[in-house]
Amino acid sequence: MYGGGNSFEHLDLDRSLENEDPQLLAEFEARIARGEKIEPSDWMPALYRKQLIRMIEQHAHSEIIGALPEGTWITRAPGFKRKMALMAKVQDEVGHAQLLYAAAETLGKPREKMIEDLINGKSKYSNIFNYPAYTWADSTVISWLVDAGAIVNQLANSKGSYGPYCRALDRICAEEAFHLKYGHHSVIHLSTGSAKQREMVQAALNRWWTPLMHFFGPPDKMSTHTEILTRWKVKMSTNDENRQQFLDMYVPKIWDLGLTIPDPNLKKNETTEKWEYTEPDWEEFKRVINGDGPCNKERLAVRRRAEERGAWVRKAIMKPVEKPVTPLA
Amino acid sequence: MNQLAIKELLYKIADDQLILGHRNSEWTGVGPTLEEDIAFSSMAQDKVGQSLAFYKLLHNMGENDPDTVAFMRNAEQFHNCQLVELPSGEYDFSLIRHFLFDFAESARFRRLSESSVKDIADVANKLKGEIKYHTMHANIWIKKLGNATDESIERLQSALNYAFPYALGIFEKSPFETDLIENGVFVGEAQLQEEWLEEVQNVINQTQLILPTVTDEEIKYGGRIGKHTNHLQPLLTEMSEVFKIDPTAEW
Amino acid sequence: MTAILESLDPRVKRMGITAENLNAFPTPPENDQFATYQVIIEPKEGKGYESAGIVHAPDAEIAFLFGKEQYSRRFTCSGMAVAATADVLASPFTENKISVYDLLEYASLEENNSAGEFYEVFHLYKRGKQHSHWGRVKAVNPEQALYEAKEAYDHSKPVYNIWLIASDNIFFADENIKQIWDTLPLKTHRDVRDYKAQDKINAYKERIKSNL
Repeated sequence: MYGGGNSFEHLDLDRSLENEDPQLLAEFEARIARGEKIEPSDWMPALYRKQLIRMIEQHAHSEIIGALPEGTWITRAPGFKRKMALMAKVQDEVGHAQLLYAAAETLGKPREKMIEDLINGKSKYSNIFNYPAYTWADSTVISWLVDAGAIVNQLANSKGSYGPYCRALDRICAEEAFHLKYGHHSVIHLSTGSAKQREMVQAALNRWWTPLMHFFGPPDKMSTHTEILTRWKVKMSTNDENRQQFLDMYVPKIWDLGLTIPDPNLKKNETTEKWEYTEPDWEEFKRVINGDGPCNKERLAVRRRAEERGAWVRKAIMKPVEKPVTPLA
Repeated sequence: MNQLAIKELLYKIADDQLILGHRNSEWTGVGPTLEEDIAFSSMAQDKVGQSLAFYKLLHNMGENDPDTVAFMRNAEQFHNCQLVELPSGEYDFSLIRHFLFDFAESARFRRLSESSVKDIADVANKLKGEIKYHTMHANIWIKKLGNATDESIERLQSALNYAFPYALGIFEKSPFETDLIENGVFVGEAQLQEEWLEEVQNVINQTQLILPTVTDEEIKYGGRIGKHTNHLQPLLTEMSEVFKIDPTAEW
Repeated sequence: MTAILESLDPRVKRMGITAENLNAFPTPPENDQFATYQVIIEPKEGKGYESAGIVHAPDAEIAFLFGKEQYSRRFTCSGMAVAATADVLASPFTENKISVYDLLEYASLEENNSAGEFYEVFHLYKRGKQHSHWGRVKAVNPEQALYEAKEAYDHSKPVYNIWLIASDNIFFADENIKQIWDTLPLKTHRDVRDYKAQDKINAYKERIKSNL
């Protein structure tokens, strides 16, 4: 579950490309232009490698941390159907993290190093998971709408240029279809249920709307320029494009359930065919991404504690690898 | 055939699976490695799914629907053995419990697949493959960790010492034991325990672990007749927290 | 040390998170990385084996346990194999309709059918997709194995990458354990088809309408 916002800061283009062999660079770009994927053993510019590691790693972290807010409700899911579905859903997020770490590893960064960077607070993950899931309804809104947002981004990225990332995303997108359906199913039941249930789901939607708008990252006019990453098919869509697509697909579905979206300015401009909305508070976004959200501390502490509790198991079965081999595909 | 006897048998099987599946799901998202997290979660889901299959059989026999049965009873109405309700603790205990319980379950299903009650035999047969993976998983992990480092051996041994008297409690006899055996519904707890012990001993023999000696007085019976540790009621309260907001609602 | 974290998650409350965990992480050990194993899956009897991805594991046995739930917990599965990544011999990649086999130099072959060992041969037919199992050849060394594969392959499609795994280094699931996948079709809780609710929406709208 990853919205893709905020993954490409600090590009220093002039310096990054000056040391690359122009011949190899031309071949690399021609391959991408032809629509062929880049595979791990192909030559690639250092900048491409660096930005991909950064992006895929953030995506992986978002999956493993993303397992936590919904995990909150695993032991309290109401009824067999929800209990089993939520267990499977959160399990899938862990599975996605595993697949994405593997894709990032093909670029040369070991998984343990990535996990270390996560728990030491060095790398980022999707901001939205720093918000708490207060009630059962929050977990259903996450399963439906956060996953919906993630699918918009992931489907776009699955058309990108890096083979291992595409392979991981093919599998992930197939699994996300279940998340989306399960989440929608749960929200439908609450929305069409008792007064209490409707109240729960409306309150949850109110809480999650701003984080959802943040999920796709700052508006394009505020973001770093990424033309080269677009040409290299690393960045496949802009933050605003993703946000617009999400609104286009899901606002009607939310309204269909008689729920109110907490933004009086939200409407589709029939002339431009674009959604208009109140800009969410981007200062809050920055604050939370820099560590000052309601759950940042807890999320990392849980990951650290999980690592710590599992350390003896890993140590017991560890066979030192003489020469590390990166995964092939 | 006494319907009460069959119901009692089905309740204890279903309750065991539900409570253990619930406990094991506490590891989902925080397991010792990503891959083991996934594997353990699958088995937790399997357990809950298996319990549902048995609650459905009970429903067909006139009991309440599975959700009501699972989410609305109090601790003293549960027939699970005490082993499954104990807190998950660290991974050493969770693994040892999984090992001890799943070998018992595997033996139970093998016997149930021969049951004179066709519905029970069918369910047992259907789920055999699933349980095969569970025992394979337990077997491999116990052998690895039971032969690895001083720390892992010590951890497993102390978890085993703690869990074993509870594990023997799995085989607490039903008041209908003779009835079940004579009618070919089930081979009986005593026979089951014997088959289980042999398999468990066989795995333990391939490790540096020792099966503790337990006197009859030390065995933790009571679960089957609704006598539980202090851990079950809080588990049930947590499990039904949302469901009980409105038990008549569809969630 | 007492737990200090007031989480909304009862599971987290039981993890015993202390002030120390909340703020610091001890330096991890130097070598905390497992080897990787390639996991190869046959989704359906007769469909053939295809690479699914990797798992981190200390040995093939655990790799199998892990691969089963990471790569075959949905839909159907009829077989699985694992091989250490280090045991996979990978050819260079080609592109743009050029097959790896086209670049293969003729190897001087020692005709000796009794000697040698078996190799499993995997082909990549499209960059960005998975390698699929093409077949097995017998050869005295990997170079000869590639040549044997070139001879036997019908070249209907260009092959952009080849994996060779000595048959001794790849572990297929035994027939007698394949029942572990028997209940996959019953796991409908992981399937989109189990979550249809348009009826509910329609009924709700009807209710609203009739209340107006």
